[in-house]
Amino acid sequence: MSNFNLGMVLSYHSLLIQGALTTLVLTIGSAAIGGVLGPCIGMLRASSYRWLSWVSGIYVELFRATPTLVQVVWVYFALPVITGVQLSGFVSVLLTLGLHEGAYVGEIFRAGIKSIDKGQMYAARAIGMSYRQSMQRIILPQAFKRMVPPLVNEFASLMKLTSLASVIAVPELLHAADNVISFTFRPMETYTAIAVIYAILVLPIIALAGYLDRKSGRTSR
Amino acid sequence: MTTVDEREVSSAVAGKAGAPLIEVRGVRKRYGALDVLRGVDLNVRSGEVAVVIGPSGSGKSTLLRCINCLEEYHEGEIYYSGQLVGYLKDSRGRRKKASSASMCRLRATMGMVFQNFNLFPHKTVLENIVEGPIVVLKEQRASATKRALDLLGGVGLAAKANCYPEELSGGQQQRAAIARALAMRPRALLFDEPTSALDPEMVGEVLAVMKDLAKQGMTMVVVTHEIGFAREVADTVAMMDEGSVVESGSPESVLANPAERRTIDFLSKVL
Ligand SMILES: Nc1ncnc2c1ncn2[C@@H]1O[C@H](COP(=O)(O)OP(=O)(O)OP(=O)(O)O)[C@@H](O)[C@H]1O
Ligand SMILES: [Mg+2]
Repeated sequence: MSNFNLGMVLSYHSLLIQGALTTLVLTIGSAAIGGVLGPCIGMLRASSYRWLSWVSGIYVELFRATPTLVQVVWVYFALPVITGVQLSGFVSVLLTLGLHEGAYVGEIFRAGIKSIDKGQMYAARAIGMSYRQSMQRIILPQAFKRMVPPLVNEFASLMKLTSLASVIAVPELLHAADNVISFTFRPMETYTAIAVIYAILVLPIIALAGYLDRKSGRTSR
Repeated sequence: MTTVDEREVSSAVAGKAGAPLIEVRGVRKRYGALDVLRGVDLNVRSGEVAVVIGPSGSGKSTLLRCINCLEEYHEGEIYYSGQLVGYLKDSRGRRKKASSASMCRLRATMGMVFQNFNLFPHKTVLENIVEGPIVVLKEQRASATKRALDLLGGVGLAAKANCYPEELSGGQQQRAAIARALAMRPRALLFDEPTSALDPEMVGEVLAVMKDLAKQGMTMVVVTHEIGFAREVADTVAMMDEGSVVESGSPESVLANPAERRTIDFLSKVL
């Protein structure tokens, strides 16, 4: 503890920067997958198509009821046994976190749609709009404003979740740290350094979510 | 203040005087195990005003939603200008659900005004009113806007066209909602307790618009506790309780000389 030697760790900064980049790519990649999947899931769950709503509900609950770490190792180690296709660690994590995000974003969409007063749908249908027109023009524009803060928060959580990729040796930030430690034998300095890097990446996003939340609280439209 | 363009309303009802525009026959509806409508009958001829009264939970809102095809019903029939609402009948008389497109077309010809106004909060008053004509009736924006401004003038809201609903008082919001319904050139208007959410001083301005419409021959079904309005405007008053119409007839008979115990009890509470 006596000599906190950050300089030694920082001489491996290129490894850490590489790790941070991988973390960013994983975050953005799985957010993109979740961003496409989630709205579909949310709309199905909010719809009156019983079966589709039920099936998408199972998907969501499965991902919400199991630890993300278990999801990651399951896709990496167990899925190949079933499918016979071994995915790389990177692709496994991208897929797992993408599906994970799909479930969580789906929940945010469902809750957002449900939060809109039923009278809005009645009013839209009463002037002769179809379900689709009512959704597109009346419900979703209102719901989306309420979804933005939780979606941004979810993005911040996702960035932290990417650290799970280290368990299957994907060279993201946490795994890069383990490498740096193996060279420097400086765990304290190294973990401190990456904690700071994570905070630098995540804090602005959380701040943005807070700002959007306060802003949307001020006006209803 | 309240002069909705007379030609437009009367053109919508021209040539239909006397024929029943809305016919509800033995309609039953359940929510799960709860029987909400237990055989409702109601006839409203073109140009008539029917006022529906009755205690909370008696199924008044549900009935309006069934008439406007916003809700399914399990038994009985609802006819709107001769067309079965929500269903098709095959040659053996079995019914199946009508296509969603045909239900949309039907709803577009029937206006609905809600207790909580249900204006679209993300759109200005003017946008609220032109939404249906443009999106559903495929009208040109310019002509829809011109007509919307006329309608807003008719309900005394010309100056509020570019405001958002939250900037309006309750009474103004409800008048805007009536203008939104009128913009679709409906053949009938359904009102679900249009003044119940209003502060007392705003009730009059909304009722005035409704009286105006009635005078111009608009067919209306009005759920309300405003007995004075019923007495003055209604052609028929129907008293609902526990999912059925327990008494109906002219305002003189139902309101002044009710025959049913339940009507008497109800009236003693709201008067
Ligand atoms: N979507 C629904 N699901 C289940 N039950 C419902 C639903 N809508 C209404 N109900 C029930 O149906 C019954 C009739 O409701 P409805 O809203 O038609 O009554 P109402 O006469 O309009 O009463 P109010 O004066 O309170 O508006 C009530 O017991 C209500 O709880
Ligand atoms: Mg009601």
